[in-house]
Amino acid sequence: MRDPSKPLVLILLIAAQSFCAVVFVGDVIADLFGTAEQEAEGGHAYVEALATLALIAAIVVEVRILLWLLRRKAHLEQALDTAQRAVQEVIDAELDDWQLTPAERDVAGFLIKGLNTGDIAQMRGSAEGTVKAQLNAIYRKSGCANRAELMSNLIDTLMGQRSGPDAAPLDQD
Amino acid sequence: MARYPVWDPFVRLFHWSLVGLFATNMLVIDPDTPLHAYLGYATLILIALRLIWGLIGRGYARFSRFPLSRAALEQQLNDIACSRRAAHAGHSPLGSLMVLNFLFSILALGISGYLALPSATAGLSWAEELHEALVAWLQFSIVLHIAAVFLESRRTGVALIRAMVTGIKDIPRYRARE
Repeated sequence: MRDPSKPLVLILLIAAQSFCAVVFVGDVIADLFGTAEQEAEGGHAYVEALATLALIAAIVVEVRILLWLLRRKAHLEQALDTAQRAVQEVIDAELDDWQLTPAERDVAGFLIKGLNTGDIAQMRGSAEGTVKAQLNAIYRKSGCANRAELMSNLIDTLMGQRSGPDAAPLDQD
Repeated sequence: MARYPVWDPFVRLFHWSLVGLFATNMLVIDPDTPLHAYLGYATLILIALRLIWGLIGRGYARFSRFPLSRAALEQQLNDIACSRRAAHAGHSPLGSLMVLNFLFSILALGISGYLALPSATAGLSWAEELHEALVAWLQFSIVLHIAAVFLESRRTGVALIRAMVTGIKDIPRYRARE
């Protein structure tokens, strides 16, 4: 169950690779556009430019993975014992299915923990109007009319009555 | 909207003087000229003043006000990952790390530059190597710093560059952390 992708490891890796990328980009710019003191560089410079682009692409992917990891960690960290974690994972799977934005996913997490609109706004540093709009998006995407329906749907999923994405496909309709 | 006077005149003057000195010395001045060394000394004096101000100054300029706890750093990372809009009045935790990075990297840059001078020492070759490596590190830090300022301005809705000019952050009341 231990996850090899620790955020800190990823942060250090991204920092090291970004440092290399900046050095290489400077090198490539000097090769391609600089005064042609090294004419022999020629086609080799394009290979270097390509390798640098690949490195930058890898960094972008790693940053996205890092943000995803941090989000997951942020949502898991209040759930301390194994049972809580198991419940949280079922809820996460259900929420992932709704394809919420990161902000909406965060709001949904607070909503399920029982916070009201004002509390959520304070936790997120948003205006209440913003949170209300995000709640509406969550209800729309989950196909629920309000908080009560959303909660009872989640409880159904937890009890195995509805087939969540991770549950056994007993009664797909 | 609450107006927070966060950056005192010295901090602002320090920031933009450092930008000017560093950019001039890196981009314009030939490194083998005496002028490069003089601008380097001026930069070292500037850094020394900021270090002193961090100990005896008031408000958010003080190092003791830097929110550098592990919990605060994790909080900001979570805020970024979850697109939360909470903003810090003074330095943010990650911003504080960048300030310290700049202060000590530029300090090391100046010292290694001095040691590499043929007139001061025999012109230590390792000092010159270190000096050039620190320039690369600082270029990387500058790119990261500018990118972070734009991204954090967008996330928190606080005009951070304007704050470094006017000294004032306009933060909606519900958005301020600490």
